[in-house]
Amino acid sequence: MRLFGGRHFDWTLFFSIIALLSIGILLVASATSGSRNKDLTTRQAMWMGIGILAMVGMYALDYRVLLKFSFVIYLVSLAPLAYLLVFGHRIAHVRSWIRVGNFQFQPAEITKLAAALLMAYLFENEEEARLRPAAFAKLFAIVLVPFVMVFLQPDLGLALTFLPLLVIGMYFGSLPWRWWAALALVLVMGAGAGWFFLKDYQKQRITTFLQPETDLKGAGYQLRQSKIAVGSGGLFGKGFRKGTQSQLRFLPVRHTDFIFAVLAEEFGFVGVLMVLSLYAAVVLRSLRLASHARDRGGAFLVLGLIACFGFSVIINMGMMIGVFPTTGIPLPLLSYGGSSVATTLTAMGLVLSVEARRFANV
Amino acid sequence: MKAVFEDRTGFQWRLEISFIVVSIAFGLMATAYWYIQIARGDYYFQLSENNRLRSVAVTAARGVIRDRNGVILAENRPAFSLYLYRRETKNLAASIDAAIETLGLAREDVERRVARYRTYFDFVPIDLADNLTVGEVATVESRSVDHPEFAVGVGQQRFYTHGSFAAQALGYLSEATTVQVAAAPDRYRPGDPIGQRGIESAYQDLLAGRAGERRIIVDSFGHETAEESHSDPIPGRDLTLSIDARLQSVAEDYFKDRVGSVVAIDPKTGEVLAILSAPSYDPNLFSRRMTAAEWSQLVENPAKPLQNRAIQNVYSPGSAIKAFMAEAGLAGGVVSPDTKVYCSGSATFYGRTFHCWRKEGHGSVDLHGAVRGSCDVYFYTLGQKMGLARIASAMQAFGFGELTGIDLPNEKKGLVPTEEWSLKSRHVRWYPSETISVAIGQGPVLVSALQLAHAMAGLVEGGRFPRPHLFLSAEDTQSGNRYRYVNQSEQRLSIEPAVLERVKDALWAAVNEPGGTAYLSRVPGLDLCGKTGSVQVVGQKDTKKSHLLPYEKRDHAWFVGFAPKDDPKIVICVFIEHGEHGASAAAPLARDLAAAYLGVAIPERPGERPPGAAAQTGQP
Repeated sequence: MRLFGGRHFDWTLFFSIIALLSIGILLVASATSGSRNKDLTTRQAMWMGIGILAMVGMYALDYRVLLKFSFVIYLVSLAPLAYLLVFGHRIAHVRSWIRVGNFQFQPAEITKLAAALLMAYLFENEEEARLRPAAFAKLFAIVLVPFVMVFLQPDLGLALTFLPLLVIGMYFGSLPWRWWAALALVLVMGAGAGWFFLKDYQKQRITTFLQPETDLKGAGYQLRQSKIAVGSGGLFGKGFRKGTQSQLRFLPVRHTDFIFAVLAEEFGFVGVLMVLSLYAAVVLRSLRLASHARDRGGAFLVLGLIACFGFSVIINMGMMIGVFPTTGIPLPLLSYGGSSVATTLTAMGLVLSVEARRFANV
Repeated sequence: MKAVFEDRTGFQWRLEISFIVVSIAFGLMATAYWYIQIARGDYYFQLSENNRLRSVAVTAARGVIRDRNGVILAENRPAFSLYLYRRETKNLAASIDAAIETLGLAREDVERRVARYRTYFDFVPIDLADNLTVGEVATVESRSVDHPEFAVGVGQQRFYTHGSFAAQALGYLSEATTVQVAAAPDRYRPGDPIGQRGIESAYQDLLAGRAGERRIIVDSFGHETAEESHSDPIPGRDLTLSIDARLQSVAEDYFKDRVGSVVAIDPKTGEVLAILSAPSYDPNLFSRRMTAAEWSQLVENPAKPLQNRAIQNVYSPGSAIKAFMAEAGLAGGVVSPDTKVYCSGSATFYGRTFHCWRKEGHGSVDLHGAVRGSCDVYFYTLGQKMGLARIASAMQAFGFGELTGIDLPNEKKGLVPTEEWSLKSRHVRWYPSETISVAIGQGPVLVSALQLAHAMAGLVEGGRFPRPHLFLSAEDTQSGNRYRYVNQSEQRLSIEPAVLERVKDALWAAVNEPGGTAYLSRVPGLDLCGKTGSVQVVGQKDTKKSHLLPYEKRDHAWFVGFAPKDDPKIVICVFIEHGEHGASAAAPLARDLAAAYLGVAIPERPGERPPGAAAQTGQP
């Protein structure tokens, strides 16, 4: 196994990622300036470093080795989730964090990578023109097990980020349209039934999403403040660290979930377009890479990973302006959060790894 | 390893679709951000400015009000309020209970205040109680460790140093009404104190100054992080009134248990030296946001303490009008000083018998004697000779039936009846016999105490009527500039000196000659002149003596006069509701005021009776 030598390296993807990371660190610095957590920027930079190492490591490693062991990896990654459900301490209502010394980690992020690997492994060996019921059942299980475990933590937002894997598998695995229809029906009914299982704060988020004006002091306050932050940025923004909404703390959780509102306020529509373009570049470039993949496993791996990535990006951006409900999904690469940035970079490493091994003979 | 992935057509097709879907998704997202940031950018920018900026009014110190000698009548004192910061409290209900218990507050009042803040953000402190005493402030401060949620705020409160002293003339401060806020939204916010009634209202703009404004930058907790801009308040101007507190207190003392009004003016300048309306009220009640009970007590009091009787209540002048009838009769040539009328105690006009107040009659009287003894028959005769039209025009020339133009709000203009008025307002023809009543100030002729004083000032000044006013000067405390009132007077009549002397002599005689109705109020060297009057409250000719009637049916008492006779320095009008007799109830106060103003000592006299016992002589 050779490192780098003669192998393709996708610089477009790489530089888009590095650009996003740089913007991310600037925004975290701005969003945390003046607060007691001044070391958050350093900490984030450190996690970015770890993530970049992981990315390079993944690039160097043949993804096919990982595919081979994907089932084991998957099982192992479920263990901490099970542990959390039993022993986890709640942080902000949910048991999604594992605390090691000074660090907190969301194991579900790793599970997501493992699930993507296992799904790819599934489709590596699924070459029928139509998705067989047995394969569909497996796909369903792969996604649903961690989904339910995370959902029970209960972290609805994080659980939802598993669903793109299911959709990718169904779509690219050629699920017959009748199945789609049946699934849609189950989903609608399940949503109705699921309402009764939602926690109060989750129900409130949905109600607030539908009628944000009803609760201007609580949940609606977040949305209102983030819309004000975004809208008041105008074309060019108020300038780095000059966003009144974020600097005066009107904007809630601004260094994590609402980091994009900080960008929109301080760098305006120009900044938004730039970051939007970078994300589009990452997603579209990855889709292009998927079409180059040497095998079904590689293609599905890229598709699964990038679908999770793109899903989070779109949901998070929509969240800022009330297009999507406030679900607590961070913005990949920009939001503060070690596990998010490290696993996202690891995923990007896997994408690069697939691209590097596009020709059968290397 | 499995074979290389070969069959790609369906897969590639799907990829192309997803490529388009992703592009559309990002495109839509960009459009959504364009809409929020560009299309609605100004709107949200405004909202973000509203978020971060707070406008804090900096209250301007209200001008101090002083009397003509510098005695402070109204000033500002620090007032302490108790504020509750909801963010600092763990248990709102417990905090409220603690406040109620510590300061002994009324629970319903506190709960009403708390309810008002329900829609405000937590960082807006609740104004729980106002006007804490120094002791209460100390109590709150001493418990600040256990109760960090409470804080004491210092504001300014209007303080009327003499309490109910000249209360109706001074007015009071209370929260601006919605109408007042709507009229000047750039100057007042709801809750701002604003002058209501009296001088406080008339000179609101001078006194209030202009509030300054601090525009501060706050964070989401409402904590001030910086000041963006500020404009200093412009303090209100200090006002010096023409009122003489010494004179005013002489009047105030006299009216402790009486109802009525007093006006004393300088006939040359129109400066109001004293103005009183009784019963009065304590304007300080308004400064400390009176309770609903206190308010209804004031408003529902049948004696209407809020009303300024001196300018707002009009009554028949009674015999006090004879002073002006005398001038009109002489000036118009209707009577000469030597014209004599025989008074037998009654006389018949238009087939009706009219009585003189003095049943036994005055005998043969000329003008001098008629004014001195207040002979009704003489003035009936004069009235009949003049006729209503000439009486009305003479009375109007003296300013009756129109506003004097005093610088106080809500002055009433009273009524001088004419034949047109009778048809238009009463829808009946004027009865000639009514003219006879009007000639002695009875019937539908209505005047205020101020109008009588104003008319008397015009008379003694030979027809030059000063415009009455309380404003003397205003001082800009910052620049030291002083703005003075420019006296305004109008030569409405030209009274011949000979006529004026005759009338003044007669008015002097009414006080200083035996047989004068106010003879008991004479003081050597004071030269008080004037005319008494009493007004029947019940219908025509009740045979009972007034003092035998229940209070509310007793006659009203008037005295209008001036002193000294030559070059008068002060004109005084006293009105006492149900005071029965001008001579016994009203004249003594006029005497005291004139004596106090001119520095003349009043000798003790054994014959001096308490006012209530005056009825025995039965003088009007």
